[in-house]
Amino acid sequence: MKTIAVTGIGVVTPSGIGRRQFWANIKAGRSFVREITRFDASKYPSRIAGQIDDLDKYSHVSERLLKKIDAFSHMALVASELALQEAGIDIKKEDPERVGIFLGNAIGGWLYAETELRDLYIEGREGVSPYMASAWFPAAPQGQVSIYYGIKGFSKTVVADRAGSLMAVGYARKTLLKGKLDLILAGGMEAPVTPYALLCCNTYGGLCTENSDPAAAYRPFDKSRAGFVVGEGAAIMVMEELERAKDRGAALMGKITGYGTSCDGVDRINPDRSGRQLARAIKNALDEAGIAPEDIDYISLDGMADDVWDQSEAEAIKMVFGEQAGDVPVSCPKSMFGNLLGASGALDVIIALLAMEHSLIPPTLNLRDPDPAWLNYVKDKALERRVDKALVISRGRGGINSALVVEKA
Amino acid sequence: MDIKDRIKKVFVELLRVKPEELKEEARLYDSIGVDSTEMVEAVIALEKEFGVKLSQKEITKFSTLEEIEKVVSSRSA
Repeated sequence: MKTIAVTGIGVVTPSGIGRRQFWANIKAGRSFVREITRFDASKYPSRIAGQIDDLDKYSHVSERLLKKIDAFSHMALVASELALQEAGIDIKKEDPERVGIFLGNAIGGWLYAETELRDLYIEGREGVSPYMASAWFPAAPQGQVSIYYGIKGFSKTVVADRAGSLMAVGYARKTLLKGKLDLILAGGMEAPVTPYALLCCNTYGGLCTENSDPAAAYRPFDKSRAGFVVGEGAAIMVMEELERAKDRGAALMGKITGYGTSCDGVDRINPDRSGRQLARAIKNALDEAGIAPEDIDYISLDGMADDVWDQSEAEAIKMVFGEQAGDVPVSCPKSMFGNLLGASGALDVIIALLAMEHSLIPPTLNLRDPDPAWLNYVKDKALERRVDKALVISRGRGGINSALVVEKA
Repeated sequence: MDIKDRIKKVFVELLRVKPEELKEEARLYDSIGVDSTEMVEAVIALEKEFGVKLSQKEITKFSTLEEIEKVVSSRSA
């Protein structure tokens, strides 16, 4: 039986770009949720977010290309480059037909689209950039990254609301197991901090509108929870078959050993209160990994900071873990930098891999009065603990459930 | 500035390429690797610069600067 390894990671997040800066901030439990400064958001109910202001400093992308792409493609290009560098991969030396790219995204590239739509209504048809057509749509980053590196193998963009990138990693694993490809760049990217995208996130109703203390706004699993906060960024990893990675002397970050997904099918927005289908997705992921619930050392929570979402997530964990549900450490690191929507699951996978590497479980911020109280939350400060196996949960609107098992290599 | 320099300037500003990359006798595709979408934008920019109507068919990524100059001159005359 083949095993799939992760050999490089690339993070572009409000908490930092590149693993060193990112992990230093995560393990310190620093919040990067701030008042939005990119545009005038003063009339928005929720006007706080995790923003990236220094992408240009880390970018290798030419000005000529930058004017054709949206910020979410830019983030994906930078994250891909970081991941490939870390993995020691030069795609030119690979068979391009055996390299693929699997990314998740929820909303597309709105900064570009908004600007061009404004021009359409003010200047007319000729005011619109011809790049608009290829810049805004969710699969644009997949296209740009594949063109940049000459990737020619089977590739895919998964649009499944906030679960998209965890699903992309799950599908990437399956594709590698089938032997269809040698190497996959997998993850996701999201850029929701734009006037229109933020407006849509606001009207959806799930965002926290307590703007006065941004760092304290996102409170998953706290009794006083009042919704989530959006964040922008990209999280991309290099995945390949374990033996291949060993043969080429790659440093192993971890293994992706199980994946499960299911649908609730009950409501346009909300999940099933019982958590039954999420439990089935978790169970399937554990079964695929061939491990028992008690083998799990850490659970990375989806943490929407909403009563129904948080409670059903806890119910699902209880259904699968039974009496041990209150023993295994859990946390929701996105409380530090915001919910990266379609990129959130892949970033949680990377955080779980870093937790294994450093034997340190990142904290959940703003957890004063846990609800439900019986989960074993890691709060305020990171917990020193060896992690060999971790479970990552990612969910999307309308009851999309996905769960992934990562293990130490 | 003569017509050829103005055409060069359009491409340099639009595509952020270096002026020396634009070789006069070379096809745009060969000198600066333009794609078809960049040419759509370039033709619109040339129309604005010279105040003439140009067709996407007569100015393509396989045109040289000299050829573009001929088309623009014949149109402005």
